Amino acid sequence: MAAKAKRPDVLAASEDLRKRTLTHTSGSLDCMIYLASMRDYNTGLYVHQGLAARFSPEAASEALADCHRECFQELTSLELKDLTEQLDLYMRSTGSAPHDFLRAWRDLEPYRVAVPVGTDSLMAQFLFSNLKIALAILEHQTLRVPEPAPVA
Amino acid sequence: MMQLVIFLALAVGLLVLLLMAMRRQPSHAAGSAGELVTAKKTLESLQLGLLPAELVDQIFGERDLTYVGTIGSNEIRSLFLSERKRLALTWIRRVREQVRALKDFHVSRSRMFTQMSRWRELSLAFDFAGLEGRCRVLQLLLLWRGPYAAPGFARRTAATAGRVCSTLDQSLAFLTPSIPVSLASESDADGSMV
Repeated sequence: MAAKAKRPDVLAASEDLRKRTLTHTSGSLDCMIYLASMRDYNTGLYVHQGLAARFSPEAASEALADCHRECFQELTSLELKDLTEQLDLYMRSTGSAPHDFLRAWRDLEPYRVAVPVGTDSLMAQFLFSNLKIALAILEHQTLRVPEPAPVA
Repeated sequence: MMQLVIFLALAVGLLVLLLMAMRRQPSHAAGSAGELVTAKKTLESLQLGLLPAELVDQIFGERDLTYVGTIGSNEIRSLFLSERKRLALTWIRRVREQVRALKDFHVSRSRMFTQMSRWRELSLAFDFAGLEGRCRVLQLLLLWRGPYAAPGFARRTAATAGRVCSTLDQSLAFLTPSIPVSLASESDADGSMV
């Protein structure tokens, strides 16, 4: 299937977003969560003031949506080992206590609302399933790490 | 007088036949645009969403299982196996549903639009029948012995489905718009198309 031709301003906005913002994320998971947070829950449109000022609100929204889809594809192509590492990196980048983070992610499953619109349901299930296992692995590893011995 | 009655009876009979013929749905004879587009979407969903070798490898490949084995927790291993079993069953159920939908479409409509040879028709019929059987067997194997029961069989099933899809894709090729090379090359310096 031929890829739909993209408008030059959307392509430029995507490139700008990748260079200025997404290079600072810790990985595809961080990137997907960040881009999902740019999406308005009521309209499904992406909002980024800086990018919209530089290009146009429409081009910015489309560029954010494109990058969101890219991050999702990258994540679903990862092996479980790499996904677990990404989750670990993301957990550390949030600054939350590992136990709190793991409990919140296990109970609330926030990743379920972070996938792009129009994602194939099997691919979404695949990612959710892998994240569930990655969380269990991190939880197992966190519990196994011995508490630091008290200083005498 | 008798001849007039016979002629009138024949005329009424022909009129009734004509009315019956007019009552038939023309879309069923020619294949409606909606059905064709649905069939094309089903094909694309199979070819791009369900059958790519990378996806089949991710679901049935054993790299993740090996990694989970290194964690050393039976609980995580059980969780992993049950999750993969669920995914594998979802995958095969969707492949089966979509293959069946394509078969129904092909049997009822698409032969109106294609110049498929009898040999190809026969081969396609065998492929459809074989694919249905393969999907059912794989479903039972996954249910019975788990996600890693027959990875090779799963790959071959996906390859057969891919072959059937490409045959059908050729018969629906007229739905894919093509841009003439002469137009595609006529672009402005800024990249905008003519």
